Amino acid sequence: MKISLNWIKEYVSLPADLTMEKIAYDLTMATVEVEGWEDVAKKFDRIVVGEIRSVEKHPNADKLTLCMVDTGPDGVKEIVCGGINLRAGMKVAVSMPGAMVRWHGEGELVEVKAAKVRGIESFGMICASSEIGLFDLFPFEDDGTIVDLSDFDAAPGTNLAVALGIDDVILEIDNKSLTNRPDLWGHYGIARELSAFYGVPLAGIEPFERAQDIPALEITIADAQKSPRYVGVQIEGLAVRPSPFEIQTRLWRVGLRPINAIVDITNCVMLATGQPTHAFDSDKIKGHITVRRANDGEKLLLLDDRELKLCAEDVVIADDEGAVALAGVMGGKRDSVLPETSKIILEIANFEAISVRRTVSRHDTRTDAAIRFEKGIDPQRVDIALPVAMRMFAKIYPEMRVTGFGDNYAQPLERKKIDVSLNWLEARLGKRLAADDISRVLGHLGFDVAFEGDTLRVIVPSWRSTGDISIPDDIMEELARMHGYENFAAAPITTAFTSSISQLVPSLDRNIREFLAFSGGMREVFAYPWMKDEFATAILGGTDGLLALAAPPSPDEQFLRPSLLPGICRAVAGNVRYFDDFAVFELAQVFLPGDFESAYDAREKLPVQKRHAAGAFVGTDVNTLFRRAKGVLELMPRAVHCEGFAFEQKERPFYADETVWLNITAGGAIIGQLALLSKKSALACGIKNHAVVLFDFDIDSLKPFASRENKYVHLPPYPVSDYDLSLLIDASVKWAEISAEILSERGEILLDVAFIDEYRGKQIPAGKKSVTLRLTLGSTEKTLTSNEIENFANSAIKRLGKKFGAEVRGR
Amino acid sequence: MKEKLDAILAEGNAKISEAKTLPELQDVKAALLGKSGTLTEILKEVPKMEASLRAETGRAANEIKQQLTKAVDARGEEIRLKASEISPDFDCTVPGILPLRGGLHPITQMCYDLNDAFLSLGFEIFEESDISSELYAFDSLNFPPEHPARESMDTYWLAGHENGSGGERLCLRPHLTGASVRFMQTHEPPYRFVYPGRAYRNEATDARHERAFFQYEALIVQRDFQFSSGMVMIKSILSKVFGRDVPVRMRVGFFPFVEPGFEIDMQCLICEGNGCSVCKQVGWIEIMPGGTPHPNVLRSANLDPAEFTGFYVNIGLDRLTMMRYGIDDVRLFRSGDLRFLQQFN
Repeated sequence: MKISLNWIKEYVSLPADLTMEKIAYDLTMATVEVEGWEDVAKKFDRIVVGEIRSVEKHPNADKLTLCMVDTGPDGVKEIVCGGINLRAGMKVAVSMPGAMVRWHGEGELVEVKAAKVRGIESFGMICASSEIGLFDLFPFEDDGTIVDLSDFDAAPGTNLAVALGIDDVILEIDNKSLTNRPDLWGHYGIARELSAFYGVPLAGIEPFERAQDIPALEITIADAQKSPRYVGVQIEGLAVRPSPFEIQTRLWRVGLRPINAIVDITNCVMLATGQPTHAFDSDKIKGHITVRRANDGEKLLLLDDRELKLCAEDVVIADDEGAVALAGVMGGKRDSVLPETSKIILEIANFEAISVRRTVSRHDTRTDAAIRFEKGIDPQRVDIALPVAMRMFAKIYPEMRVTGFGDNYAQPLERKKIDVSLNWLEARLGKRLAADDISRVLGHLGFDVAFEGDTLRVIVPSWRSTGDISIPDDIMEELARMHGYENFAAAPITTAFTSSISQLVPSLDRNIREFLAFSGGMREVFAYPWMKDEFATAILGGTDGLLALAAPPSPDEQFLRPSLLPGICRAVAGNVRYFDDFAVFELAQVFLPGDFESAYDAREKLPVQKRHAAGAFVGTDVNTLFRRAKGVLELMPRAVHCEGFAFEQKERPFYADETVWLNITAGGAIIGQLALLSKKSALACGIKNHAVVLFDFDIDSLKPFASRENKYVHLPPYPVSDYDLSLLIDASVKWAEISAEILSERGEILLDVAFIDEYRGKQIPAGKKSVTLRLTLGSTEKTLTSNEIENFANSAIKRLGKKFGAEVRGR
Repeated sequence: MKEKLDAILAEGNAKISEAKTLPELQDVKAALLGKSGTLTEILKEVPKMEASLRAETGRAANEIKQQLTKAVDARGEEIRLKASEISPDFDCTVPGILPLRGGLHPITQMCYDLNDAFLSLGFEIFEESDISSELYAFDSLNFPPEHPARESMDTYWLAGHENGSGGERLCLRPHLTGASVRFMQTHEPPYRFVYPGRAYRNEATDARHERAFFQYEALIVQRDFQFSSGMVMIKSILSKVFGRDVPVRMRVGFFPFVEPGFEIDMQCLICEGNGCSVCKQVGWIEIMPGGTPHPNVLRSANLDPAEFTGFYVNIGLDRLTMMRYGIDDVRLFRSGDLRFLQQFN
């Protein structure tokens, strides 16, 4: 919203030494956010009023003229111009060298320089309105029309902004910062805040005194809640014509286009008081005015030519023939002010905020009026807007007559009464405010204040009684913001020690992330909770029965993830273009339809939500990728201090390769999986040339240890020996079977058996593989002899030979 | 004879120190002290000498033998220490071998930095689920029944659950604040806790707006608390995160669940408050809303607002992280693009 400083000054006399910086700072700290301000005169720097002394044809160009122009102190200058309406004695806008203009009203601003035009030196530029940003004030139809300032009482050389009365400062206020302040949507409201900041009086607005003999205008309100008040004033003797220039510039300065005097008045009233008003052409109103709910399906053609199909929740202004306006939002086409209009009904009414807001969102018709009603305007605002409007009509149309008046105040608003304990106030603020200061500050803001012992009795002004201020805490905020938040010394935060903070669940979460990142070499990614259908289908096989969003971000992103893997695969698919070898992971919640329950409130029915960790290792060699991923998972429980888990093949995940997959189990229950992404699923994800090994597990199923669970083991008292064996064995025999067989007879000296590597290929017969393993042998009683070591190894080889047909390689 | 011995000693010492390698030294030693070494030859002759010379020459020769043996050993030790397997061409400027190059998301890093800072002030960490209900997202937070945020244009409601009300109208939580009520309902006051997490809002995305974002809230509830103390909390946290004192200001702001409410700005770190394009020339950057929990919020948590008060802040982690690194597009955080994520270690 744009606020004019000159307009504000009509309501408060601001201290002379007050800078714009200070005003913006104070408003920002205590009232609304000022995003910036603009000094209008600066835009017209070096642009002055000039008076044309003579006009001659340019010797070298048919369409150009040479003008001798009196530019005041700079003297009479020769200027080449292409204007079509130039004449001697005409006052024009002259851009002198250094001024910023927009050539022919288009493109960027450029600096004017003295230059030769077709061989003749031209001092500056005589401007069209579009070239100096004034088209809205000086509209024209034919190209080359120069602004005619002859009617302005300004000597040559006068700065244009001064000559036009537009040397103003315009504040830009962030609308979001005043959503809770219906009183601030007009200049008068902002002026009131400033009057409180600087302790200067706010100009009063005298009530409208109407003659006793004015006939009553009948107004019916069908639903008082939706329309608490409606004032209609019938005014005759008007004519549609442009507003006085001062009114036009007033609107123009705050970003509105002047239209005609009647419409301009209604806009000025709204910008002054925050109260929207509307003018109907009275001759088009048949019968009397009724404010009622629309009939379902009732049609209304709006001013902007849109035809709406209304419903019973919408409120309309209607005459005997039907709806003529959408209440609080926009007028209708039928009763709009037209060039021949001379008689109007001026509407100054109050409509329910919720009702207006719903209508606006239903029909997508947000207007300046609706924005204000949505915030909750008090019905008493009508009493401020009415005199402002009537004085403007009287001034612009001295011949006007009021020929009808009706005020149906169906549902009066009570001013809120709030009692505040002064001791409570002191405890919360950390400071005792003097009673005088309280009275003064609240008084300036329109509150009535009385003290009674420890109690501050406050009556809230009507314009803050529509929801803005309702409890003692609101009064505290008023006092604190006016006192200045920076003027309360910050009290230190004290702490009472009872015990240290130990939180196993957040710690486990963090430990897992840090382990996967720093030990697993994986990169953490964040995905959206909604899945893209193509990835959901590729990984999960479908989306049937999944939780979905009612209004999803896009039609193919409606389902909420029951697994992190679709998101992981989306990230993988996005990165294979740039990287050949990488690993990613995510820790987040997944959402499972089914048991709806809440741990907090029996009335709440929530789906099952579990925290999962999932990741992908991406590269070319399946064997390496699978073992890297498995290694990370094998080490993880120890590293993150939780109970371990096992790997079993129980239930193949949809996306998994036929062979390369494992379930992660805890206590026999499946809590996750580790698997190679099948070719089919990979292709469906758009991953063509890379192997992807995925894992996914439920963190909530892991049991964190309260402390480190490592156990100390004595160092071996006698030397321990490693014995490496390479076996030629059927390719189908699994390592788990080999190691189990070896471990089945430990002979009291086998401490460990470890996998070293596996080899298939040249030198190995088809259907076979070579497996190298390491036996670790030792005794707690003596140093083993080489015979004892050999004997154990041989017995193990014999058992493996018998069971699997294994042979030792190279023997 | 004495001159001969002195000459052997001098020459021997010179040859020993000239030896560059152990084999060379071995040769020198053999030439002096070996079976037919020069000194050995003299020692062999001693018994044949006259008795008067024998004793003195024998003593002197033995002494020289000891000196030379010592010198050989010392030189041998020197050579062994000097000997190196490393070629003088070894290139120390070659880059190191990097360990595994994984890493945490920059927002997670920021979250953990804040966790550490808040833990040091005695705050607990609380985490809650992403799917919540109107009951906790709005009703218990003093949002009026007609508040626009309740409509589907702002909040992601769940299909099939969007038309109910209260606890049966489900949504992806539009903010974290509802979690504070859950915490308070299940713990005994006073409270001091933070609750980081994801929140969701149904809006168009651009470089500054995301549908999914990461928030970080902190709440103190106790019997006496002045809102000005909130400033102490914010300043200590920010200075810990940014590693220096960060000027902060509180100004008026409106949020349904706090009263009074604040917008909290920190001085722009890019221009040190002088005004630049990042801070839109104002020198301050809005980083979080905050305030005193609204009495109705405390009531939702079964607390008496006459007895309890406190302070709340809601830090937008996406924005703070963007500030920290000068990131200009919020959408990168959820892009999964490793070219971006790899930059944060």
